[in-house]
Amino acid sequence: MSKLFFLLLCMVAQSCCVAQKKQLSMPVVFQNICKGEKSILNINLVNAFEENYTITKFKYYVSNIKFVTDKKIKNAAGVYLIDASKKNIISIMVPSEKVSGISFLLGVDSILNCSGAQSGALDPLNDMFWTWNNGYIFFKVEGNSANSKADLHRIEHHIGGFKGNNKTMTEIYLPINSKVLLKRKKLVIQLDIDKYWNGINKLKIAEMPVIATPGKPAKYAANNFTGMFSIKNNKKIRIEN
Amino acid sequence: MKIKIIIYFSFFITAALLLISAGKKNFIPTPIKFVVPKGFPSVATNIFLKNKLTEEGFELGKKMFYDARLSKDGEISCGSCHQQFASFSTYDHDLSHGVNNSFSNRNAPALINLAWMKEWHWDGGINHLEMQPLSPLSAANEMGEKLDTVILKLKADTAYVRMYKAAFGDATVTTERMLKAFAQFTGSLVSADSKYDKVKRGEATFILPEQKGYEIFKANCNGCHREPLFTDNSFRNNGIALNRFNDVGRQTITQDKKDSLKFKVPTLRNVALTLPYMHDGQINSLENVINHYTGLDTNFINLDPLLKKRINFTDKEKRQLVLFLYTLTDTSFTKNKRFAP
Repeated sequence: MSKLFFLLLCMVAQSCCVAQKKQLSMPVVFQNICKGEKSILNINLVNAFEENYTITKFKYYVSNIKFVTDKKIKNAAGVYLIDASKKNIISIMVPSEKVSGISFLLGVDSILNCSGAQSGALDPLNDMFWTWNNGYIFFKVEGNSANSKADLHRIEHHIGGFKGNNKTMTEIYLPINSKVLLKRKKLVIQLDIDKYWNGINKLKIAEMPVIATPGKPAKYAANNFTGMFSIKNNKKIRIEN
Repeated sequence: MKIKIIIYFSFFITAALLLISAGKKNFIPTPIKFVVPKGFPSVATNIFLKNKLTEEGFELGKKMFYDARLSKDGEISCGSCHQQFASFSTYDHDLSHGVNNSFSNRNAPALINLAWMKEWHWDGGINHLEMQPLSPLSAANEMGEKLDTVILKLKADTAYVRMYKAAFGDATVTTERMLKAFAQFTGSLVSADSKYDKVKRGEATFILPEQKGYEIFKANCNGCHREPLFTDNSFRNNGIALNRFNDVGRQTITQDKKDSLKFKVPTLRNVALTLPYMHDGQINSLENVINHYTGLDTNFINLDPLLKKRINFTDKEKRQLVLFLYTLTDTSFTKNKRFAP
């Protein structure tokens, strides 16, 4: 009888050790802002071209998200749909080596665009899939602006395209102050929508209120993707978050 | 004491195992083997590799295919525009009817041998057979229904709930399962038993005018309508002018001017049943299709290179060609009860 208990004790102890060895994970929060303003939906915003606008829907895909070190890190599984109307927290494994940054794909890779019926983030129910020209919408902004000449003054930017010259999925890399990472309980990645309109390319709502297919205008808009992202408080080490 | 523990322990294990197996006990779907007909190439993308073809999945797909309740007004099913007797095209309609008396902008193509395609629709906008139903289900001039409402309708119907359980192991209705079941039905629509096939298998012989027609076909049409599928599944500009819908075809998908007015080469299998012809159904008979090609303006902008060479047929040759095309009709397919509602 006592032998049996001893055996059981050993097993429990072992399983505890295994749990301790497990890599730590860190919550990464995607925060959608506009020039420091923390919410962007259904409020009056102004872009660099003095165009007033409102955003009613704001969603985008994030995939292959991982911390970058000197060592080559395997591609990360998992596709996440970031939705400005929800809290967006992704848990990522922190490698034991020194972290130099974080990288992810804005959008989903070409294989996932033609793999047939899928569930979860890639369920067509999420309204991020083109039914007539198959492929996922990687980045979606919908809203209104008096400057839009489209029907009902709408803004409708559905940016996607995964083939040849029309590719818009974009690899984003953000350097991280590794000291920051050690002190933090979570990492906040901010997307500034203001920089979407006013980035390397200038997207005036008056000129481009609607982009609804893969092609040159979508490509032009997607060139601004990289500039939208930054890590919140990347320089300050002691910070409450 | 020890023995007691061992007995309790084994009892516990057995009970646990029984509990686990009970959940899956009723889930024994009947597998179906997808058979590539003799003489056919292997399938382009094996759609049934990740979507295991089963009797239960096929039956579910069929039920949904013929269910008009899935449309916005309850009037239109997939089968409304894809009629079995017309090789799953819309018989004698240039365009098809959608909800609220609307019309589609294109002629409903025959749904046969879809498993050999890589891209679907006249413009190739569909990149996976499973994703195809999303387009007609939601298009305002087809079934006009929102995807979330379609899912709700399926969930509310106990017959469907039972069928989802039989096909997938539990009663959860998801987009993924719905689309997979649709593909099990549509991908199974294989037509390969026409007189032409029987001749190729040595079970029948062409009469002389059919044989002459076959030779004319091989010399003039086989470049695009390649045997044995009678399509090379490419997109080509065949000299049909821009129509009233400003439908530029493949260019809509690629945004490339080189693809202007290119449309998918349709299969000629069952072609006698799929009238009228072309992407908008503007040509009403096989004779007139042949006349289109013999009378083609070879300077038409962006015309397919294979059509640049003028085709000349005598009236007799045209008749022989039509007689050959009639041998591509497969009534064992159009009358197959397995595909009927």
